[in-house]
Amino acid sequence: MLETIVQLLKNSGVYAWELNDVKTEGWEFYFIRHELDQNRAKSVEHITVKVYQLIEDGKFMGSASAELAPTATEDEARRLIEDLAYRATLVKNRPYTLNPLTEAHRETLRSAPVDVGGIARSFIEVMQQLPETATEDINSYEIFVNAKTRRFLNSEGIDVEESYPSSMIEVVVNARKDGHEIELYRNYESGTCDAEGLKKDLMRTMQYGKDRLHTAPTPALGQADVLFTTSDATRIYEYFADCLSAQMVYRRMSDWKLGKPIAEDITGDKVTVTLVRELENSSMNRAFDAEGAPISDTVILRDDVPVKYFGNRMFASYLGLEDTFMPTNILVEGGTHSEEELRAGKVLEVVEFSDFQVDAMTGDIFGEIRLAYWHDGEKTVPVSGGSLSGSMHDFVREMLMSETSVQYNNYRIPALTLLKNVTVTGVGE
Amino acid sequence: MKAPFSPYLSGIKAGLQELIRILRRDYEYVSVLATDSRGLVVRISQHARSVASETMTTERGIVVRVYKNGQYSEYALNEFDPTKVEDTAAQILSALREQQTILVETGSKVYNTAILRDEPITLFVEKETEQLPETTDVKALVEKLSDLSDAGMAMCEHMIECMANAQSTHICKMFLTEHRDMCQSYVYSEGTAVAVVSRDGRNQIGYEGVSGLCGPELFDQLQNKMAKSVATAEELLDAGRIEPGEYEIIASPEVTGLIAHEAFGHGVEMDMFVKNRALGKEYVDKRVGSDLVTMHEGALCTDNVTSYAFDDEGTLAGDVIEIDHGILKTGICDALAALRLGIEPTGNGKRENFEHKAYTRMTNTIFDSGTDTLEDMIASIHRGYLLEGMESGMEDPKHWGIQCIIKMGREIIDGKLTGKVVAPIIMTGYVPDLLGNISMLSGDREIFGTGGCGKGYKEWVKVTDGGPYLKTKARLG
Repeated sequence: MLETIVQLLKNSGVYAWELNDVKTEGWEFYFIRHELDQNRAKSVEHITVKVYQLIEDGKFMGSASAELAPTATEDEARRLIEDLAYRATLVKNRPYTLNPLTEAHRETLRSAPVDVGGIARSFIEVMQQLPETATEDINSYEIFVNAKTRRFLNSEGIDVEESYPSSMIEVVVNARKDGHEIELYRNYESGTCDAEGLKKDLMRTMQYGKDRLHTAPTPALGQADVLFTTSDATRIYEYFADCLSAQMVYRRMSDWKLGKPIAEDITGDKVTVTLVRELENSSMNRAFDAEGAPISDTVILRDDVPVKYFGNRMFASYLGLEDTFMPTNILVEGGTHSEEELRAGKVLEVVEFSDFQVDAMTGDIFGEIRLAYWHDGEKTVPVSGGSLSGSMHDFVREMLMSETSVQYNNYRIPALTLLKNVTVTGVGE
Repeated sequence: MKAPFSPYLSGIKAGLQELIRILRRDYEYVSVLATDSRGLVVRISQHARSVASETMTTERGIVVRVYKNGQYSEYALNEFDPTKVEDTAAQILSALREQQTILVETGSKVYNTAILRDEPITLFVEKETEQLPETTDVKALVEKLSDLSDAGMAMCEHMIECMANAQSTHICKMFLTEHRDMCQSYVYSEGTAVAVVSRDGRNQIGYEGVSGLCGPELFDQLQNKMAKSVATAEELLDAGRIEPGEYEIIASPEVTGLIAHEAFGHGVEMDMFVKNRALGKEYVDKRVGSDLVTMHEGALCTDNVTSYAFDDEGTLAGDVIEIDHGILKTGICDALAALRLGIEPTGNGKRENFEHKAYTRMTNTIFDSGTDTLEDMIASIHRGYLLEGMESGMEDPKHWGIQCIIKMGREIIDGKLTGKVVAPIIMTGYVPDLLGNISMLSGDREIFGTGGCGKGYKEWVKVTDGGPYLKTKARLG
């Protein structure tokens, strides 16, 4: 069917076109405690077609897209393409060209077969082998393992295909004391099953559960230094990347300028952000982005100074960028502190939020504290309740990071991140 | 006009019924949910404009549910050929047997569950709409949204971007078993007017939305929304920070909806009762709010984006009174959770799409109105805030904690709005306290359907929520 669609597109007379074809073979297992709630399998294919038209003698370009069912007949495909060709003439954008065919598209891609059953079995086994106790155990978990094959073609001659594994496990951990039970939620994404990493993190989570049953109310600290030591820290670094996206810059939602430090009077550690093609066992390891642009290791921020914007073809073209792409994996470096240094003095180390958010548009951060450790310079007390807030505009100046790093799926970031003078609304004295 | 049912689904119905017959040789129960939902999305801003066909709920595919020896299994596919039904059955049997091998080899036990009932139901529903997303005048819609975006840009000197977005989906679903033949077709639409302003390197956003159980004719209503979006964004540029503490608050209908959804909606999703993950299980027939609090949930509560005739497990839609004058009466339930709890399902078994598992999910979650006026409510507050606009929320059914990110608060001192605005606001608290302190409710109400809802951090479905202005106490930061 795909070849028929390609032929129809070539014969359609549209200015340009793109085609994405993603096939997924997926296995899922759902457990309550360790009893099977349900098992599921899927075999699906999603074909998306996007066509572009020049309007008013090339002054503008429009586009329209739609998914075409794999069961569509040739006649249905033809009618859909005709419809898209018309709809694309209705919206006027500045013209640009699609990603061109390059040498990178000719390299042989690694596309080893993905053993969905084997990966799923590993997840089941590691969950069965966790050292649960009478007071800390597993409430439920959901395992998702996918083998994906993606083919991308466009009117510039790009025709690439790559296969990759994509897995996810959601785990709910319980801890209880004197009839009172609490839960902690975890969601791990990866390529295949990282059994050791999963086990280690879940054991740490069970310890957090135990500590949460012994918390004092979070003190009303007013302003405090806050330490991020879990995957929530990825949201902070996502903000740095977002501010350098061509879309944000072109739409004037980010004022970060190439060659100019992101803030004045920076006294903290200086952040370096690199977009990378591969991180070990990331579910996002790709050779090409969704528009067929080759992905390569690219520094976008060096020592708090923007060196390159990145983005999709449209906004990148508008900013005059070449050799850019939509990022998949992100590497953050620049920490100069030991973990001991960052935990010294008065600092609130938050390890559980109900939901930690960083708004890329406004720079605002929010989070309700479910478990934190208040290091008061002498002792460490587990606390819960209250919330924190503030603005990344202020935090970037004095932010500190550890020399050590940690990976959360497609982010490798400093293991510890410290933001100074965060507003902490406590619930205690 | 009636939203016409999918010819594609009608065309494969006989094949799917044959598939059910074949699979019944190996399984005690077999059901099929087949979907064919088409959409239209137009996004217009000053810097990018697009037309697409995929909304959050467009899909075409099939999910087969089978049952044997206390165990439920499912297989999802989107290449079904009615002339090769035996091949499809073999494909399903093969995959599920492979999975069974792993389950046996890993010694996995099964959560033994009873078989679903299969009383005969025949239903064919085509709901009313004026227009369809498939055939609406896209050119006119693009022009309408472009004019709206341009008009918004001219409303304030600090505008840097102005978006007018419209999307409409024609849902068609068919649920089949040995004895059930259920078909439904309806159209829902939603639109947003978004204003982005910037001053001195700081950005703010204002947005307003419209939604309804109707076609693209809804988007005429967006015309009235842009001015409010721009005014909100502009006000936020001058907003101060709130002094953290506990305050008397008036929740606007949008914030009331967020409270309904996060504070209580998730807490009574009864698949969480099965897992012992929700405190609500222990509070049935007990007081959880003040006498003024009555809350409804169900696809039949109102006509909006999730007002279906039957859910994704073939259970007829309902209207459940969850809280009646402050007393928790019941929760909502999907079909399998109902079997495990020994109760009746409420028509709340929903899937993100045919590829996803069905969970207990909310539909329309709404506080009943009261008899007070907003003016009287403001006048009754010594020191507090009128909270407007929602950003996001997060549930905590195990402890009935609540986290709501709210766009802005308008200061009230001695019964009057002072004109001072604070933003953003994080509202936290304990649900029974929040609901127990509700002391006034306005006589009107609004429903909001432009958002989505996840279970944890996944499984996104359409929901609505809403209610009247309500007065209570909450911790703000």
